[in-house]
Amino acid sequence: MRIPCPYCGERDAHEFATLGDATLTRPDPAAADADAQFHDYVYLRDNPAGAHEEWWYHANGCRQWLRVARDTRTHAISGAVAARATEQASGEPA
Amino acid sequence: MADHSSHDPLAGIPFDRVPPSGRYGAAGEPGVTVSTTDTPFIALVVARNGFAASVAARLGRAFGVEVADRAGAAISAASTVVGTGPGRFLVLSTIEPDLEGTLRALLGAEAAVSEQSDASVAFNLTGEKVPDLLAKGALIDLDPRVFLPGHAATTVIAHIGVTLWRVHESGWRLLVARSFEASFTRFLVASGAEFGLALENGTAGRG
Ligand SMILES: [Zn+2]
Repeated sequence: MRIPCPYCGERDAHEFATLGDATLTRPDPAAADADAQFHDYVYLRDNPAGAHEEWWYHANGCRQWLRVARDTRTHAISGAVAARATEQASGEPA
Repeated sequence: MADHSSHDPLAGIPFDRVPPSGRYGAAGEPGVTVSTTDTPFIALVVARNGFAASVAARLGRAFGVEVADRAGAAISAASTVVGTGPGRFLVLSTIEPDLEGTLRALLGAEAAVSEQSDASVAFNLTGEKVPDLLAKGALIDLDPRVFLPGHAATTVIAHIGVTLWRVHESGWRLLVARSFEASFTRFLVASGAEFGLALENGTAGRG
């Protein structure tokens, strides 16, 4: 599996560490139901078959977090963007 | 010492010692020459948010080279600027003992600067067979038709993290964390023996 890093170019997946689902938003720890929200956020993860968005860290390269679009059934990767770019777009820390 | 095959170019060399200078493997004109005798001053520059382009331009003007915010090596006689990540540049100099101070004065609040001279060992690899040697440990395409002079990459070779760039037609430079010098030199010797390898090292760290 090869990941197209926006800075480094196409690289072997062995250079990366995966964090998982990039579509979730970390709950507000100050919320009244923070315990329940964090239980859901940490443990109750979906396991989608098909198109998925994931965080990958280019540990043995540019040392940047990437948001990678991967098909979980075929491992086909349709794109990757720097997390810092999506962060600036959404205002959400990665 | 256990018996080693006479074909093992590393026979008798302890795992935790850098193999000594000398000739290894095939006789005749060496296909690869490895040297660590150049010990450049090295500093890492990390541009603060929004200043990558400005930092690249300042580095370019100061060192008389064309620097862009990408994975490339800008090389002059005394200095090299290598992109290792967005807004991140390794600067090497053979003539600036206070490279960190020079860069701080140059970049001010636009970047964080840290002195790295003793962090890495700089391997100079020359010879026609360098790509064939590196291919045995690399995950990326280092074919000389693809990886051109001035191209740079931060990647792994033989499971060891490296930043490497092609200096000229038959010259490559690799930075490896100093604690990996023995392991990486063993990889070079073992993989280069079939081409004949000349190794020149032995300089102590700057301390
Ligand atoms: Zn990368």
